[in-house]
Amino acid sequence: MIDVHDLAKQYHIGDHVVHALRGVTMSVAAAEFLTIVGPSGSGKSTFMHILGCLDRPTTGRYVLNGRDVSTLPGDELARVRNETIGFVFQGFNLLARTSALENVELPLLYTRHGVVRAAERRDRALAALDAVGLTDRAEHHPSQLSGGQQQRVAIARALVTQPSLLLADEPTGNLDTSTSHEVMEIFARLRNDRGITIVVITHERDIAAYGTRTVDFRDGLIVSDVPNPFDSRLPRNARESLAQGKSA
Amino acid sequence: MRALLRHPVVNTAIKALGRNRLQTGLTMLGITVGVATVLAMMAVGAGAQRSIEQQVRAAGLNQITIRAGNWRPKVDESEAAVAHQGDARDSLRHPLERLRGDVLPIAFHPEDDPMEKHDHPTARQRLGDLEAGLGSAATMTFDDAEALRKLPGVQYVAGGIHENVRVYLDKKRWFTRMHGTDVMMPSIKRAWTFTAGRFFTEREQDRSSQVIVLGQVVADRLFGVGANPAGEEVTLWNQPFEVVGVITSATWVVQPAPGDDQFDAVYMPYTTTQRLLNLSKLNDITVTAESSGDVSRLSREITKLLRVRHGIGDNEADDFTLITQATKALTTGGLPPSVARAVASNVAELEKVTLEQLALTMERASRTMTWLLAAVAAVSLLVGGIGIMNITLLSVTERTREIGLRMAVGARRRDVMRQFLVEAVVISAAGGLAGIIVGVIASVGIARTLQWATVVSPLSMLLAFGVAAAVGVFFGWYPARRASQLDPIVALRRE
Repeated sequence: MIDVHDLAKQYHIGDHVVHALRGVTMSVAAAEFLTIVGPSGSGKSTFMHILGCLDRPTTGRYVLNGRDVSTLPGDELARVRNETIGFVFQGFNLLARTSALENVELPLLYTRHGVVRAAERRDRALAALDAVGLTDRAEHHPSQLSGGQQQRVAIARALVTQPSLLLADEPTGNLDTSTSHEVMEIFARLRNDRGITIVVITHERDIAAYGTRTVDFRDGLIVSDVPNPFDSRLPRNARESLAQGKSA
Repeated sequence: MRALLRHPVVNTAIKALGRNRLQTGLTMLGITVGVATVLAMMAVGAGAQRSIEQQVRAAGLNQITIRAGNWRPKVDESEAAVAHQGDARDSLRHPLERLRGDVLPIAFHPEDDPMEKHDHPTARQRLGDLEAGLGSAATMTFDDAEALRKLPGVQYVAGGIHENVRVYLDKKRWFTRMHGTDVMMPSIKRAWTFTAGRFFTEREQDRSSQVIVLGQVVADRLFGVGANPAGEEVTLWNQPFEVVGVITSATWVVQPAPGDDQFDAVYMPYTTTQRLLNLSKLNDITVTAESSGDVSRLSREITKLLRVRHGIGDNEADDFTLITQATKALTTGGLPPSVARAVASNVAELEKVTLEQLALTMERASRTMTWLLAAVAAVSLLVGGIGIMNITLLSVTERTREIGLRMAVGARRRDVMRQFLVEAVVISAAGGLAGIIVGVIASVGIARTLQWATVVSPLSMLLAFGVAAAVGVFFGWYPARRASQLDPIVALRRE
C-alpha cells in the first residue's frame, strides 16, 4: 500500500534549514492500522502530509499503491487526494453553517468526472453518514453537533469517495476520553469491515494502542516500530470489551 | 436561469455567500447603487436625446410651408419693428410716468395699455407681421391643397387661414392668434399633446362647425390654470364657439409661452373661418414630406405644380413663398435676408446641409452626455468593484482553513480559483440585478417627479448587467488567485 524510501524533508525558515524528516524508510501493508506517536517537532506531521500528498518530499521516494507520487504535478496530487486518500483532522474542519450532509458531499464536488450529480451525491453522503451512525443528524449544522458527532461527520466525509487509505492527524485531540474511544472504534471497524488502511497520529498511548502497529518518531527519524499487543484484527467483540476494560 | 442557479459551482457560491448575509448584502449594495445610477443616467440621457429628436422633428425638418404672396422673409423686419416700437414707447413713457397713479387706467386689456411692458408681441407688432392678413395676394385655394395632396412623397397637407382675434369668455378676453386649419394639423405638429378634450373632427370640418381648440396659454388665461374648458363656450367675432380641446407641448424643450403663435393661439376648422369671414382662399398650405431628405425635391415639385396651376409665365415671379426648415435656418442664421433668400433659392439640397449640421450638433451633445455618464458609471462601479475585491479578500482570509480543506479533499487550484471568482461574480450579478430593478424604479420616479423623459431600453439593462458581471470578474480575480495559490498545509493550520 505505502512504500517510502529514504524520505527527507527540509524547510527553510529565514536562513535556517529545518530538517523535518531525515530519511524515513518504511512500508505499510493494505488494511494495516498504523498509529504514529512522537513529541512535537518530531516530524510525524510532516510525514503525514507527505503520505497525504499534501506535500512533496525534498528527497526520497513515496510509492502509493504501486505508483510513485513523490514527483506528481499539483493537479495529479489533488486527484490522488480525492480518490485514494481520506483525511480526518484534529479540528474537524467542517464548514460552518453547512449541514452535515453537505459537508460530507464536499469531496464529490471535485472528482475525476467533475461534479457528481446532486441525487447521487446525496445517496453516497447518506451512505457514508450511515457508516458512522449519523443518518439522523444529516441536516444538522456542525454547531448543533457534539465534538464526537462532528468528528464522525468528518470521518464520513473522508469515506465518501471510498478511499483505500485513511489518514487522521490527532483525530481525538479535541475530544474527551469516551468519545475518543468511540472515534477510534469507528476506525478499527472500518479497517476490519472494509479493509481500509488507516494511519493515525496521536499523543496518547492508549489511543495508539488501537493500531495493529505503532511507530515512534523522534527528530525526523523512526526510533521504534512495533506491532501492537492489542491487535484490532482480533474478533470485534473481544476487541471492544478490551477497550472498555481499559477506559473503565 | 434555474439550471444556472442549480449548477453546483454557482450553488456552492450562493450557499457560501448566504452564510454571511450582511456582508454579502452590503457589498451587493455598492454594485446595486452603481448599476442603478448607470441605468438611471442612461435612461435620462436616452430620454433627453429622444426629446431632442422629437423636437427636431416637431420643428418640422420635413415641413414645407407655402404662403400666399411672394413676401420677403419676415424675421429681420419684424425684429426691427419691435425695436423701433420699443424706442417709441420709451419716449412716450417719461412724461406720463409722473402722472401714474393719479390717472384712471385708460385701457382694460393689458395689451391695450401702452405703458405696460409685455412678454409677448402686442397686437400692433403682430399686425406688423406680413402674414397677418390675406392682403393683396389671395392666391392659394383649397383646390391647390388638394392638388398638393396628390403629389408623390407628400405625407400630410393642411391649408390654413390666420387672423388675430379676441377670444371672450364672458367679460374676460384674450388677444391671440387664430388658426383656421385642417384636421391633419395634430399629425403635422408631432410635439402636441392634449391636456383636455380632442382636436376637431373631419365631420366638424365638413360642416364648418363652430368648434375651437385652445392653446394652453389661452386656456390658462381665460379659464385659469388647471381648469378643464372642454365643453365650455367662448365667443369670437360675436359668435359662440364650443371648446373641444386644449393643446400643449409634448416636449420639455418647448414650453407654452404667451405670444408663441402655437400655444398662445386658437384652432378651428378652416371651413368655419371661411364661412364666418366670408373667405374662399387660404393664407398658407403646410405640407409634410414622408422623408426629410426628400424636402428639396418635393419643394421643386410643389413650385412647378403651383406655377402651372396659377398660370404663371416663365419670366414671372412666383405668387407664393415656399418656406422650408433650411430657408428658415438661413434667414435666422445671421445672413442678411436678401443674401439668405438668394442662397436658399439657388442651392439645391440645401436642407441636407442644415440637417447634417443639426445631426452634428446633436451628436456632439450626446457624446458629451455619454462621456458624463461613463464617468459617473466608472466611479460608482469602481467603488463597487473595490468593495467586491475587499470582501473577497476578506473572505479568502477568513476561509483559509476551508480552502485548505477543499484542497485536501481533492480540489485543484483552478477549482479554488473558480469558486472565489464565481462568488465575486454572483455578488456583482445579484447586485446588478437589484440595480436594474432600482434603476428602473428610479427612472420612472424621475420621469414622474421631474417631468423628464426617461427611456429604459432592454439594451441598457443588458449592458448594465454585463458591466456588473465584468466588475465581479475583474475585481474578484486577484483574491481568487490568491486563494488558489495557498499552500494547503499552511491553510489547514491557520487558526
